[in-house]
Amino acid sequence: MTGFAVWWGGVSGIAARQSRAFFTNPALIIPGLLFPMLFFAAFAGGLSDLTRIPGFDYAPGYTSFQYVFVLFQSSMFGGIFIGFAVARDFENGFARRLMLGAPHRSAILFGYALSAMIRAAFTIIFVTVIALVAGIDIMGSPAEVVLLYLLALLSNILGSLWALGIAFRFQSLSATPFMQIPLFILLFLAPVYVPLQLLGGWIRHVADVNPATFLLEGGRALLAGSAGPVLAAWLVIIIGGIVLGIWSLSGLRAAETR
Amino acid sequence: MAAIEVRGLVREFKKGPRAVDGIDITVAEGEIYGFLGPNGAGKSTTVLMLTTLLPPTAGTATVAGFDIVKQGAEVRGAIGAALQEAALDKFLTGREHLKLQGSLHGMKSAELKRRSDELLERVGLMEAADRKVGGYSGGMKRRLDLALALLHGPRVLFLDEPTTGLDPQSRTALWDEVARLSREDGVTVFLTTQYLEEADALANRVGIIDHGHIVIEGTPAELKASVGRSSVEIEPHDAARLPDLERALAPFGTPIATRGTSASIRLAEGVGDVAAIVRALDSTGIAIHQLRLREPTLDDVFLEQTGRSLEGSGGASDEDDAEQ
Repeated sequence: MTGFAVWWGGVSGIAARQSRAFFTNPALIIPGLLFPMLFFAAFAGGLSDLTRIPGFDYAPGYTSFQYVFVLFQSSMFGGIFIGFAVARDFENGFARRLMLGAPHRSAILFGYALSAMIRAAFTIIFVTVIALVAGIDIMGSPAEVVLLYLLALLSNILGSLWALGIAFRFQSLSATPFMQIPLFILLFLAPVYVPLQLLGGWIRHVADVNPATFLLEGGRALLAGSAGPVLAAWLVIIIGGIVLGIWSLSGLRAAETR
Repeated sequence: MAAIEVRGLVREFKKGPRAVDGIDITVAEGEIYGFLGPNGAGKSTTVLMLTTLLPPTAGTATVAGFDIVKQGAEVRGAIGAALQEAALDKFLTGREHLKLQGSLHGMKSAELKRRSDELLERVGLMEAADRKVGGYSGGMKRRLDLALALLHGPRVLFLDEPTTGLDPQSRTALWDEVARLSREDGVTVFLTTQYLEEADALANRVGIIDHGHIVIEGTPAELKASVGRSSVEIEPHDAARLPDLERALAPFGTPIATRGTSASIRLAEGVGDVAAIVRALDSTGIAIHQLRLREPTLDDVFLEQTGRSLEGSGGASDEDDAEQ
């Protein structure tokens, strides 16, 4: 048995366990679907008149504009929720079984992250079906749409890596606010309700450098088939992946030496 | 090659004393090593270090020939462990636990199924295999934990207080299985326990740890022989005569601490003294309620080495010493 086969066995085993827990537990699956729907209904339904503001020139319409936000928000929070699961496993001792059982412990991290991606893929499909029923307009090419979903799915990894880094360090459910709140702040200091060019004052300055802005604006550009910071969005994924990868792996090392 | 080789192993916690303070242990392949000590002595901390769950502060150790610090992955691949708390996922079935454990070790599905069935049968959980473990009894969880520890065919097995909380029947069954593993499969077993009878019944050799130090080590027979002589414990009919009883016994040997309602001495000349003791008590008019003649036990060994009794030292978890 090669080292990779053992490592992959660990990754797939942990991902399978977490996915089973998600898909068979209504208490986990329902909130994961309900929250994106609430955001979508509240923003797309209640704020659609914002498109009348001069300068709001997003061609596919406000429902599509909000759909991209809900897509990224649900995907990234899917990653955050995996941090909750790890913290719970540390609290009830199951994480120790994994630390003891897995010859290659990075398999634990990647196993949890893979399960978060599976969960995010399910949520993305669900949100997209609802959005299609609600009448979103997809103007991008098939390749652009594929890139949009890839971007959304990979943003899930950023959320997972952040939350895993916290969970491995604190090993407690009491640390869950540290997982969620930074992401909330990051997302809501980005152009959530109106395009970037319509933001003003201090929030514009923050949004100009906020990595979430590039993800949202890049994603919206892909959906609309228009020009936008798509390259910057990919850079956010790559650089964020490297930085948060180091963050989560060092968290795992911290858990090993605790 | 020794299965476990420990040299000067130390574990210090930030706000506490040294939980493990420079211990040396050598365990031969296929041996059952009993690691005995009271709560907080450092047993579990030692196991956590040897199973790579806790890094040592100083010292070296190899398990199955691999360094516990530098070759953690190889150590984990070669060992199985059932720790004090059988941490199981209450939403998974017994079989699903085995599947996950096998996945962690990269076992192929056909081999995993064969080993799972074999172990479920051996630990008597075949019928309950597809039930969620949330409904398992404490004994069933322990047995599943043992099956999980054995799934990938480890060369060294760590059992940390494996029978704590088990009923006598489950305890005996587990003892039989551990003895069989060593005898037939050649598995090296590192067994921590606070039950003297467990160490006595199972272990080829015993190490006694107290306050982080190994105070004595040897086969159970050697250790008991080191204490040497038999002892006699006498309970008088009238508790008020206890001081008289102690005075009467003094010429026959060395006093041993007791629980307060009886007097006990280590016999200077062995069991031949008993008749003389009974005659002496008869002549002083001390009526005997109970007389117990005892061969040396591992508790006597512990008492001799530390001045304290191991029995009745409490049943709480020793793991607390790892959390200081």
